[in-house]
Amino acid sequence: MTAADDHNDDIALAGEYALHLMDADARRAFEARLDAEPALRALVVEWNEQLAPLADNFTPQTPPPAVKARINAVLFPATPSRTWSLWRVLAGSGLAAVLAVGVLVMLPQDPAPTPFTPSLTAEIAAEDASLIVLASFAPETGVLRIDRQAGAANAGRVLELWLIAEGADAPVSLGVLPDETQTDIALPETLAQAISGGTLAISDEPLGGSPTGVPTGDVLALGAVVSL
Amino acid sequence: MTTREDVENMILRVGLGDRAAFSALYDATSAKLFGVCLRILNDRAEAEDALQDAFVRIWQKADSYAVNGYSPMTWLITLTRNLAIDKLRARKGGNVDIDEVHDLKDTGPTPEAAAVAASEKSRLDGCLNELPSDRADAVRGAYIEGYSYDELAARFDVPLNTMRTWLRRSLIKLKDCLS
Repeated sequence: MTAADDHNDDIALAGEYALHLMDADARRAFEARLDAEPALRALVVEWNEQLAPLADNFTPQTPPPAVKARINAVLFPATPSRTWSLWRVLAGSGLAAVLAVGVLVMLPQDPAPTPFTPSLTAEIAAEDASLIVLASFAPETGVLRIDRQAGAANAGRVLELWLIAEGADAPVSLGVLPDETQTDIALPETLAQAISGGTLAISDEPLGGSPTGVPTGDVLALGAVVSL
Repeated sequence: MTTREDVENMILRVGLGDRAAFSALYDATSAKLFGVCLRILNDRAEAEDALQDAFVRIWQKADSYAVNGYSPMTWLITLTRNLAIDKLRARKGGNVDIDEVHDLKDTGPTPEAAAVAASEKSRLDGCLNELPSDRADAVRGAYIEGYSYDELAARFDVPLNTMRTWLRRSLIKLKDCLS
């Protein structure tokens, strides 16, 4: 066998490989050679590119939408892309402000004995109003007062509150909401400073809250933080 | 219109784990790749499964794209075509395996790219036409329909070993003409 014969042999083998004509054993043997022989790899690439015009025979057809959903479910099971894209949109834009225009006229009537003088507020509401939580924040004390006016956690789940600071690319957890409809959350100073201009959101999470530090369930409600 | 560069950029970003790019890549290329699956498998449900497998693999392997030397659509189509053919062989109870991938050029090319693609197409057609017509048909059948050696031998009514010899010789002639 001459060198020219060997070369022709490789040309034919690379062509068979490109056409996907080899059986499994032959393919494995050929791939072991590919790993070690860059020239052979280049030959396969060349074949595939040269045969590529034959792919004009594959007429494009739009697949049903369910296929994309299935792919996302397989690849990203923990964080549905719908949830993520929503976070991205919110974090990056002022869209959330639009959602919270119907702000609040009625603030909590000073339910606590300590004076509470909020200057920022947000109505965190589901689109269908199935969950409405009023949040008011008093910068002097760092207290975020939560008043859940409608809706509750699903059975065996909890509601987790998140802050998406203006320009931030990820939400920060402000904690799991208790069963009580009203609660005060003391925000650390860094978060207290970040809340102005931000967006508050509530996600559906497993008991104990998100195990990952980022929302894992559906975003149920949102509202932009606005000045009173 | 999605250009070759667009698709290439999307694949590179998918290789970095960018889900938005993955979604955009799907939107830009899934129709063509579904066409590949449909033609080879000739069965909608199986074609949908093959398309799903292809995009899962694209997500997993996109990080190797930058170094493999393929044009973007060739890489995507080869990967998809090979998976579809594997499914076809599995259905027919033949041998199966999966792996590498690469192939074609078609996207929404710039005029220049379209001209290059057209000239490559006519070059391939010209070289295939230099082969005896049944041999050229065998090469086309292997590529477009995913025929195995067994099927090619049956279709052209020649012994299996004869078909192998034919096709290998045809490939060597074809490469000589193309190079």
